[in-house]
Amino acid sequence: MSRHRAPGTFRVWLPAAFLAAFAVLVCVQLVKVQVLDHDRYAAEARAVRRGNDTFYARRGSILDRNGNVLATSVDTWDIYVSPRAWKDAERAANASAVLAPLLKADPAKLRVTVQQSEGGDVLLKRDVDYETGRLILKAAIPGVIALANTARMTPEGDTGASVLGFIGQDNVGLAGIEAQYNDILQGKPGRAVYERDTTGEPIPFGQYIAIKPEAGKDLVLTIDRHLQALAEERLAQAMKDHRAQGGALIMMDPATGEILAMATSPGLRYSTLDLSDNKQIELLRNRAVTDLYEPGSVMKVITAAAAIDAGVVSPNTEYVDNGVTYIYDVPIRNWDNNVYGPQTMTGVLQNSINTGAVFMAQALGADLFHKYMDAFGFGRPTGIDLSGEASGIIRRPADRDWSPVDLATQSFGQSISVTPVQMLTAIAAAINGGNLVRPHLVKAYVGADGKREEVAPEIVSRAVSAQTSAAIRDMLFQVVNPGHAHPAQPKNYTAGGKSGTANVPIPNGYDDRQVASFVGFAPADDPKVLIMVKLDQNQDLMTGTQAAAPIFASLADEVLAYLNVRPDAPKYVVKP
Amino acid sequence: MMATLPRPLGAHGRTLPLPPGVARANWWVIAAIMLAGMSALLPVLQNSSATSRGFRVQSLQARQAELNGQIGELESEVARLTSQDRIERRARAIGLEPSSNPIFITVDVPGPAPAKIPAELLPSPQPRAAGAEPWWRSLFRWLPLPD
Repeated sequence: MSRHRAPGTFRVWLPAAFLAAFAVLVCVQLVKVQVLDHDRYAAEARAVRRGNDTFYARRGSILDRNGNVLATSVDTWDIYVSPRAWKDAERAANASAVLAPLLKADPAKLRVTVQQSEGGDVLLKRDVDYETGRLILKAAIPGVIALANTARMTPEGDTGASVLGFIGQDNVGLAGIEAQYNDILQGKPGRAVYERDTTGEPIPFGQYIAIKPEAGKDLVLTIDRHLQALAEERLAQAMKDHRAQGGALIMMDPATGEILAMATSPGLRYSTLDLSDNKQIELLRNRAVTDLYEPGSVMKVITAAAAIDAGVVSPNTEYVDNGVTYIYDVPIRNWDNNVYGPQTMTGVLQNSINTGAVFMAQALGADLFHKYMDAFGFGRPTGIDLSGEASGIIRRPADRDWSPVDLATQSFGQSISVTPVQMLTAIAAAINGGNLVRPHLVKAYVGADGKREEVAPEIVSRAVSAQTSAAIRDMLFQVVNPGHAHPAQPKNYTAGGKSGTANVPIPNGYDDRQVASFVGFAPADDPKVLIMVKLDQNQDLMTGTQAAAPIFASLADEVLAYLNVRPDAPKYVVKP
Repeated sequence: MMATLPRPLGAHGRTLPLPPGVARANWWVIAAIMLAGMSALLPVLQNSSATSRGFRVQSLQARQAELNGQIGELESEVARLTSQDRIERRARAIGLEPSSNPIFITVDVPGPAPAKIPAELLPSPQPRAAGAEPWWRSLFRWLPLPD
């Protein structure tokens, strides 16, 4: 029996042609996917399969000089959802219904947020507190991922905010100590790369590579939280009493340069911080180191120290004040237009006589005067450990616009701009034995292993001799103790100091606005604290002696008693 | 058609005699099969053990993380409770007031200076300087010699 092959018909060839074409298309697509686009698809597959998390190290705490916490990090959770796990509507509804109450959110809004995302895991809430995060983890909600993070907490509220600064959402310091010491505080973040399943969970025993985070070090500041709070309270009260636009109140250990308290206003406040408000951006700078002012008569202390150290005058050198002195026909008058007659250099400081300061500067000469200005650190940053420090402005004989009148005016604190910290550091050098010390805010570092590294005080240079410094201490004691009551006299301690009242410079002159300040120290023989009180644009137009000196006097009593310094006012001196 | 039996009638229950050595060879086979079976089971047992240990490790790591978190919570709670504001509120609540006019008393005996800094923040004690003992002398410690 013979077989007959069916002749090819349209019904056979047409499907065969379709099938062949389909097979060719499949082959082409396979070549495209597996050969031509291999790298791209392999990378996409790896990206889908591989999870990648960053674990921030625990940021170091910031402590005050006595170990009290000023800023610390608490463990929190960042809550993410894998959109793939919430593709199914019913599953998403169930999951969101469990998650929403824990996050105090609306379930529908959570679902919309997740469904509208086009990228990978969706961040639903940052810095969820630790206990809530644990509840979320225990609930094992499909697709929900909780990543450990930390948030900054300041137990003392707004106290010291301008010094401490703050950190951003990425745990990087943006202002103050947090920014200056970010590398030390932050430690090193850890990272984990792992294989994950379709819900985004790590596959047990899948590939897992982890680098552990290294915790940051704690910083022990020179700041004392009690003194800081006291300084902020007194500054706020003084600004209110004298209707001042701003101010600064700084306490320093003059021997070491340790800043015990630094209050500035306006300044950063955590409770009202709103970075979306452009006006608040200005509050991020610490005005004690960034803003310049003309110090006025406080500068006479430096002029006197320079003149005595150079040997051109002594505290008892006499001169006759006529109420006015002329520099190239430009009259320089006393602040009160008074005529004081014969005066010693101590009397010049006691009565704050401008012509006396000019007398000392002229005795020095411009070159020597500016050599001492350099020695006291004017015209350059002090090197304090806060960012944005200004250098100050001082016109010098080599400058194009220099005038001999500048030497005269600089001797009593005009034609020279300084920062409050710069002025305080210069006065510290004048009274601490003659050493220009570097002001600083960090006393020690403490590692995660408890190892403590001390930050040694730094002497930058010698400004004047110890003998000159002792003479200046005595002259400033005479200023506060002129033989009658003085607003700067503490009740329980001896003290010295100098006031300054300067008008605010404007182009081609000065206007009626003023800066009233007082810089004082106590006890007079062995200063333990140096305090600057500065009020900007006080509307009542009281002088530094009237407005700032009483604040110094009351603070000196409180601060020294707090520091366990024995009272040395005459009434406490026991005669043998 | 007539049915046939594969064995002679009357031989039911009687085993045929085996050549010598065959029974011993069977035990070896059984032992080999058992060994092969155990070898096959070993990776399963190992995997099972590794899995359970892995989950135990994960569980302990989770517990460790939880305890670390709780330590952090407690530390921040301590910081909150020792804040100046809270201490002042508490002091006022029990009737204390800020001192306005302190009285200073001079005594002959100095008072104890309290360490304000918590112990963990104080400088660690300096390690004792190593003695000048030569290295070979330490070998004597291994010998039962009188002190």
